[in-house]
Amino acid sequence: MKKFLMAAGILAGATASAFAGDVSGKLVLYTSQPNQDAQATVDAFTAKHPGVEIEWVRDGTTKMMAKLRTEIEAGAPKPDVLLIADMVTMEGLKQEGRLMAHEGADVSAYDPALMDDDKTYFSTKLITSGIVYNTNAPMKPSSYKDLLKPEAKDKLAMPSPLTSGAATIHMAALTSNPDLGWAYYEGLADQGANPKGGNGGTYKAIAGGEKLYGFVVDFLPIREKLKGAPVEFVFPEEGVSAVTEPVAILSTAQNPDAAKAFVDFLLSEEGQKLASSQGYLPAHPAVAAPEGFPARDQIKLMDFDPAKALEQDQANKIKFTEIFGG
Amino acid sequence: MAQAQNSKLLNGERISLAILLLCATLLCGLPLLLVFKIGLTQDGALALTPLAEAISSRSVQRALWHSMESSLLSALAATVLGTVLALVVGLTDVRAKGLLVFLILLPMMIPPHVTAIAWIQALGPASPVLRWIGLAPEIGSTHPLYSREGLVLLLTLQHSPLVFLLVRAALRSFPRELSDAARVSGAGAFRLLTRVTLPLLAPALLAGFALAFIAALGNFGINALIGIPARYTTLPVLIWRRLASFGPDVLPNVAVISVILAMVALAALLIQGFLQRRMRASLIGLPQDPLAISLGSKRIWVEVGLWSFVGLVLLLPAASLLATSLVKTYGLPLSSSTLNLDNFAEVLWRQSVTLRAFANSTLIAAIAAGVIAVISIFLGYFVSHRYKAYRRTGTATAAQAEIAFAVPGLVMSIAFILAFIHPLPFLNISLYNTLWIILIAYISAFLAVGLKPVAAAFVQMDRSLEDAARVSGAGFFRRIRRVFAPLVAPSAASGAILVFLTAYNEVTVSALLWSTGNETIGTTIFNYEDGGYTTLAAAMSVVVVLATILVMLGMNGLAKRVPSGTIPWKD
Repeated sequence: MKKFLMAAGILAGATASAFAGDVSGKLVLYTSQPNQDAQATVDAFTAKHPGVEIEWVRDGTTKMMAKLRTEIEAGAPKPDVLLIADMVTMEGLKQEGRLMAHEGADVSAYDPALMDDDKTYFSTKLITSGIVYNTNAPMKPSSYKDLLKPEAKDKLAMPSPLTSGAATIHMAALTSNPDLGWAYYEGLADQGANPKGGNGGTYKAIAGGEKLYGFVVDFLPIREKLKGAPVEFVFPEEGVSAVTEPVAILSTAQNPDAAKAFVDFLLSEEGQKLASSQGYLPAHPAVAAPEGFPARDQIKLMDFDPAKALEQDQANKIKFTEIFGG
Repeated sequence: MAQAQNSKLLNGERISLAILLLCATLLCGLPLLLVFKIGLTQDGALALTPLAEAISSRSVQRALWHSMESSLLSALAATVLGTVLALVVGLTDVRAKGLLVFLILLPMMIPPHVTAIAWIQALGPASPVLRWIGLAPEIGSTHPLYSREGLVLLLTLQHSPLVFLLVRAALRSFPRELSDAARVSGAGAFRLLTRVTLPLLAPALLAGFALAFIAALGNFGINALIGIPARYTTLPVLIWRRLASFGPDVLPNVAVISVILAMVALAALLIQGFLQRRMRASLIGLPQDPLAISLGSKRIWVEVGLWSFVGLVLLLPAASLLATSLVKTYGLPLSSSTLNLDNFAEVLWRQSVTLRAFANSTLIAAIAAGVIAVISIFLGYFVSHRYKAYRRTGTATAAQAEIAFAVPGLVMSIAFILAFIHPLPFLNISLYNTLWIILIAYISAFLAVGLKPVAAAFVQMDRSLEDAARVSGAGFFRRIRRVFAPLVAPSAASGAILVFLTAYNEVTVSALLWSTGNETIGTTIFNYEDGGYTTLAAAMSVVVVLATILVMLGMNGLAKRVPSGTIPWKD
């Protein structure tokens, strides 16, 4: 309800700023946002640009990409704009020449690490992966290395990169950190970690006390802790990795003007406030984070190179499977 | 004139039969044939290469072995447990039999994914019930159910009612003279059991075992929610995982794995049929009052044992489920300060997806039940037709429905994806990613459930009724409408209710067929649990369990008007 009111407030503000001579026509959006979030985003944009009619399709990133690939092979990609989970997938599309650069996008406020240098894709929020622990546990981890201590033996839960995109990026970031590397993952395996399923299962195991420490995406424990769940999310000293829900315009876009307006809207402070009202950490440093999150400048992101991650993706997953046996 | 009318009558009958056969073939036979075609051909020619490739992959081998192992073990355990319960309830003088039977059969009507969620919550470190009595496992310890044994245990509890049902029915049609003779000759209860009762029960035991085996093989809810964390992957989970992570690209590969799963199920059916024929014909007496061997002073202990078992199997998971659905967030103990109805408000009020799922499942389960009831009335008529040719065609139609029901639900849904992923010819409508593909899959997979009671009612019917109607000049449709439909209506209704409950609670068929906007209750609960929203999954499960029990109690109103055995928990 609160979210809804905030969104409604944003809408009211947005409508007031709508002006004539605006972009118009049909805009096709493929997104992996949860339904309600996608609907709110589309509503807020059309309130600002009433001339644009958005047709949107929602599915998980993997399935969304499968759909897009099929269309590309048939020679008729339908969407103008993509709003999906992670930069690695976008990097893949960029290298295939499937994305259109949007030179006019204003990214001056943002951390350059979150944006493509060639301005083909732009991060819109941060869904970070860090450490979660059960507050009844004997240890309070503050660094990734704490999970290799004897207290954590056989008490670890983590999502599998074979299931979760966030976990894939977390693995790429951790293993390319010279201080941790693959030795760290081997250490986790020696600790009896058993990566399986998605973030939800990991969170459940730790909230329910089946396991005590683990990796997970930030919003699950932060949201539930406000309700009193016995969990705590830690931004480790080495930093966190993030899936950033980037947006991009396809090179085959039918309506590039409306597509650019959509990107501009997501990157504007208004669009960023919308993300925050939906309970996500906005990518824009000046926009207030939702309740329970630390301020944006308190959060350290680990180094991450989407192009390198894309190149090593298969090799990483094979290594992972060798260490943990699938 | 009379002549012309007569041939027209026959035509009405013939056309109906032809339509039935066509429908069943299109709905049940053809999609399955498609799976086999894709699984067993390469470049249009019959080839075993894809199958051989699949079988040689380590993950498929492991999943196949796990599927066989868990299904066999749980079927064995379910046979023993179901038989013991049936013998105690069926042959002794324990009290409150009606209530006991209802409670013993309840786990069968509760969807497996709900069973899994409830037991996970009941036995884990966060278990609200075990915490109250101070028996909860130590925090951080591995969940006891996340193992092969845990998986087998839950499958056993889920399927022992199936065996109980069959064995109890067999006991009731037992010729009493035999047991009386044995007892007069001085055989004690134990000897009577081992020398007379069990040998005569063999066909029922075998049928129960086969049923439990096939049900375990195709089970998705328990296999996924317990098997995945236990790293004990079975074939249905392997199929679901591959399709969920790779999308329709892997359909051919998944079709091959489905063929393997279907083959195991069909092989089990064939072996059962073969053994059944080898056995001596079972003696069937008239259904009669259940035997009531007096337990004397032991009775109270037997009753204590029975009720403790029922209480443990039902109350512990039910209480845990309810407690979890009432706390603010998972992991908190239930107390006056953490108790709230927020999760219920969330699933019944705020979340559009749950409301949509309740509406979708109720709608398609109801339509499927109605359509199946109508088909069953016509098909049931033909299955017990006086003319051999009609009867055979009717039986061939019904057999396709039986196979579609026996084949694991995931295989059926793969079949439907293959059949409907391309737009329909002539109409150019694509059913893939709509609610209607799930509806058609339900009609196909559950036709056998609704047909059984109707066929039983037709068998019992006096055919002279038809002759009378014919002589009075009533045409085929009129005879069906005015004579047969009213007579079999109660059976068709109870069949329809069973279909409704099955479809309303299922997750196996829709696990692969659902899409955004077309969620079913089963997939929504499963996705909440899988996504970490355990309290919402629990709240939704509580609603579903209550709805199920209400429908079951409502069904009791039909009990007096249907052949005995139609309503599983009534005599």
